[in-house]
Amino acid sequence: MPGIDPREFLLLSPEILLSAAGLLLLLVGTIGRGFRNLEAAFVSIFSLVLTGAILVVVHSRLDWGGRLILGNTFVLDGFAFFWKMLILVATILTVLISYRFIEEGGYRATEYYSLILLATAGMMFMASGYTLLTIWIGLETMALASYILAGYFKREVRSNEAAMKYFILGAMSSGILLYGISLLYGATGTIQLESLARMLNQPAVAANILVPLGWILLAAGLFFKVAAVPFHIWTPDVYVGAPTPITAWLAVASKGASFAILVRIFFEGLWPLAVDWQWIVALVASASMIWGNLAALTQNNVKRLLAYSSIANAGYVLIGMLAVSEMGLQSILFYLLSYTFITLGAFGTVILLERREYAGETAEDYAGLSKRSPFLAAMMLLFLLALTGIPLTGGFVGKLYLFAAAIEKGWTWVAVIGVITSAISLYYYFRIVVYMYQRDSTQATPVALRSPALVAVISLCALVTLLLGIVPGPFLGMAERSLDASRLLQEQVTTRLAP
Amino acid sequence: MFDNLPILSILCYVPLFGAIPILWMKDPALIRKYATGVVMLDFLLSLPLWFTFDRDGALFQFVEGPFEWIPSIGVDYHFGIDGMALLLVLLTTLLGVLAFVSSWSAIHHREKEYYIFMLLLQTGMLGVFMSLDFFLFYVFWEVMLVPMYFLIGIWGGPRKLYAAIKFFLYTLAGSVLMLLGILALYFYNSTGLLGYAGLGHRPTFSVEQFHDIGASIPPDLQFWIFLGFFLSFAIKVPMFPFHTWLPDAHVEAPTAGSVILAGVLLKMGTYGFVRFSLPILPDATVQLLPWMAALSIIGIVYGALVAMAQKDMKKLVAYSSVSHLGFVMLGVFALNGPGLNGGILQMINHGISTGALFLLVGIIYERRHTRMIAEYGGLSAVMPVFATIFLIITMSSIGLPALNGFVGEFTILVGAFNRVWWWAVFAALGIVLGAAYMLWLFQRVFFGPLTNPENKNLKDLSFREIAYLAPLVLLCFWIGLYPKPFFRILERSVEHVIAKVDPSLAQDQVAGQPAPAAAAPAVGE
Repeated sequence: MPGIDPREFLLLSPEILLSAAGLLLLLVGTIGRGFRNLEAAFVSIFSLVLTGAILVVVHSRLDWGGRLILGNTFVLDGFAFFWKMLILVATILTVLISYRFIEEGGYRATEYYSLILLATAGMMFMASGYTLLTIWIGLETMALASYILAGYFKREVRSNEAAMKYFILGAMSSGILLYGISLLYGATGTIQLESLARMLNQPAVAANILVPLGWILLAAGLFFKVAAVPFHIWTPDVYVGAPTPITAWLAVASKGASFAILVRIFFEGLWPLAVDWQWIVALVASASMIWGNLAALTQNNVKRLLAYSSIANAGYVLIGMLAVSEMGLQSILFYLLSYTFITLGAFGTVILLERREYAGETAEDYAGLSKRSPFLAAMMLLFLLALTGIPLTGGFVGKLYLFAAAIEKGWTWVAVIGVITSAISLYYYFRIVVYMYQRDSTQATPVALRSPALVAVISLCALVTLLLGIVPGPFLGMAERSLDASRLLQEQVTTRLAP
Repeated sequence: MFDNLPILSILCYVPLFGAIPILWMKDPALIRKYATGVVMLDFLLSLPLWFTFDRDGALFQFVEGPFEWIPSIGVDYHFGIDGMALLLVLLTTLLGVLAFVSSWSAIHHREKEYYIFMLLLQTGMLGVFMSLDFFLFYVFWEVMLVPMYFLIGIWGGPRKLYAAIKFFLYTLAGSVLMLLGILALYFYNSTGLLGYAGLGHRPTFSVEQFHDIGASIPPDLQFWIFLGFFLSFAIKVPMFPFHTWLPDAHVEAPTAGSVILAGVLLKMGTYGFVRFSLPILPDATVQLLPWMAALSIIGIVYGALVAMAQKDMKKLVAYSSVSHLGFVMLGVFALNGPGLNGGILQMINHGISTGALFLLVGIIYERRHTRMIAEYGGLSAVMPVFATIFLIITMSSIGLPALNGFVGEFTILVGAFNRVWWWAVFAALGIVLGAAYMLWLFQRVFFGPLTNPENKNLKDLSFREIAYLAPLVLLCFWIGLYPKPFFRILERSVEHVIAKVDPSLAQDQVAGQPAPAAAAPAVGE
């Protein structure tokens, strides 16, 4: 193991800064009543923006080939940079949509934001981790903070239930993940992704029975985190019970970071086994698309509906993985980019309609929304169209790319399942549209657009959703550059898989 | 005069941008007039296309682009029209105006949203007919579903929720499979897929490029792509057995929605076959010809029989559409000059006559709020003008000589006869049945004693109503008496399709004139 140059810690300054900000908030929380909501939110946003700025500086000083630091345990490449920026943006938007929510719920603000910052730091470690253990620690940092956040409404039974379920199942999946890691370590003697791949590339090592056992357990743990069938059971209850901003954040940031490590581990550590894991990914993707979309058909609670939609979307993203191609990975980045804004926008609309913790979540609560607030109805319509994958929205371009990647590599049957389930998804997304536009309202009062921050977030998300659909070129270019500046899909991966 | 103007883009986006000011308008009467003004302007702008289109010139004219849109996958912004698209564009802008004017008295609530959606729909439909990039085509094709969904779902009849979502789901399910077909073509043209070596061309969605490579695509790949396209287009047409959404959508839609739906939307399916399936996938077309013809013929006969059993006028007209579109498809799949000419012309004819029928049914519905045939009888006594126009349109619909329907149906029959003689026999049976249900409808509504007291004081047509029906009646006579300009403008389009799908037939085909039967190999047998 090469010695560690202390100066390399400087390159970690974004992560360090964010962790420090999180700890500072936690500390302040112990003094009296802590920060007030406004102060805490301000500190969070400030530190998040600062982190982003430093991140840009750090990466602009690196050559874009991807650089391994800290004894080859930490990677700074375009892929990590993409995810970190996406996670930071998603978290900033989450803080903005949380503000009014915390205010009206009357819960302590300081710890809430502190936990969000700490979890975000964990996600950033996930994006950059280059050994299975670094990744795992990042993942646990994120997960532990998320468990508490899911139960943050401590007076609400549903929130408690969500936290409990999330914790028990999450802890178990982390255990499975760790067990898989230890098996792989047993078989190969390494947890560093690059050397892991080198070992697995030797037929003698790959033949060890511990290898398939190890990577399957590892995959199971990761599928749990991205909420893919059959490891999705926790999702609906947690999504419904958690405070809505946290639900939104779990659906985008947590899912994004989990996909980042999924792709990182499978494409950098396990690529010699690609021919084997492609099948598992294909099956999990199909099962998620089918079950997620079918189960959503009967949901009446909008948050639960979006939870199943999130399961289905995990399936769509997995399509990009099984293609094992440049286009496939690009499509994952682009899809999750657009999914982030679409989902945050949709949840933002839900939050704006909620009164007291959970009122305003059933489809009936959307009745006549087009009259009570034409703006909100139009925004929600846009997000739902985007989730369905109707053109001129980011959702369409994302899905098109995913399906194209699948077809290019001969996974036509998965693409067929994908397009048919997308068509089915229209039915439940439009159940909300029916209420918004075609049913008369039970209450005639117009919806007050209470929170300017929330309205701004919704508008921004709508704008980005449209931009991604109408001029996707620059964003696709961004995804492409991020991948070029990484070690994913090195030549040996693609040549090995060539038919 | 259009050398420097992107006339097609202007035509396409006038309704879209015209819709924006409506957001800030409050007075319904103003919105009505303004919106109608916008489509009227669009119609007037589209008229010069007819005069400046060079009948002997390039296949696609008024071309804009290709301009790069999504460079990383080779999507271009590319507009252009041939004779077929030109006729459909004109039909769209014309029916648009009529549908808007007819809405004045039919729509009384949420008018602001109504006219916005109608304008968006115009843009979507025009874009579909103008796109020369398959991706762009698909974008318009799907985006257009959204306003149509709302038109049925908000301003429709009692079962509007069901009809609207059924319409959307059916068409979406079809079109996503077409998307896979498009992607397969895309990869075959460039890098290859599924073990087929690609042709190595620049990645593109260009329709012209796909026309060029059509013949080189291996037949089994063509078969699967054809299937994807078929589902999408057949649902739209609709061909039997994919027609079940149509009666629901038509019956529940408001009058203007039905006019647009029957007049233009269904043509998108037949247009898709002629523009994409036939020229790009010639081997699969020939291979599946018997199936296509069989489905068309079943559609013709089945649609007519079911229409005969209807008690609701609108439903009757809806099923008659299934029958008429079966004719169009039969003509198209005759794959020869007369067949294609007749098929394309019949698309326009159907738009005119069925559009007019829906307008007429809408007029009587506004007065009596029922569409049940049994409620009427003897109307010719109180509404003579209405009865006269209804009669003319009925005659046009059943194909009486000197009216447009005759020209289309006769040409189709010639084409079908040349391909496989007994196709024409079945099709002719459809004409007989068509005459039966339409004349029977006319008899029950207009003749006999005026028994129902509620019908005694019905007002005859107002000036506005006559004004929006008159252009359609005139067109019926024009196409019926002098169809030559229409065949002339279609000449290049038809030649192009035949040259692509069946080069052996490319010679000696003069529009509208039957080729010697010997020249047409009986592919279907």
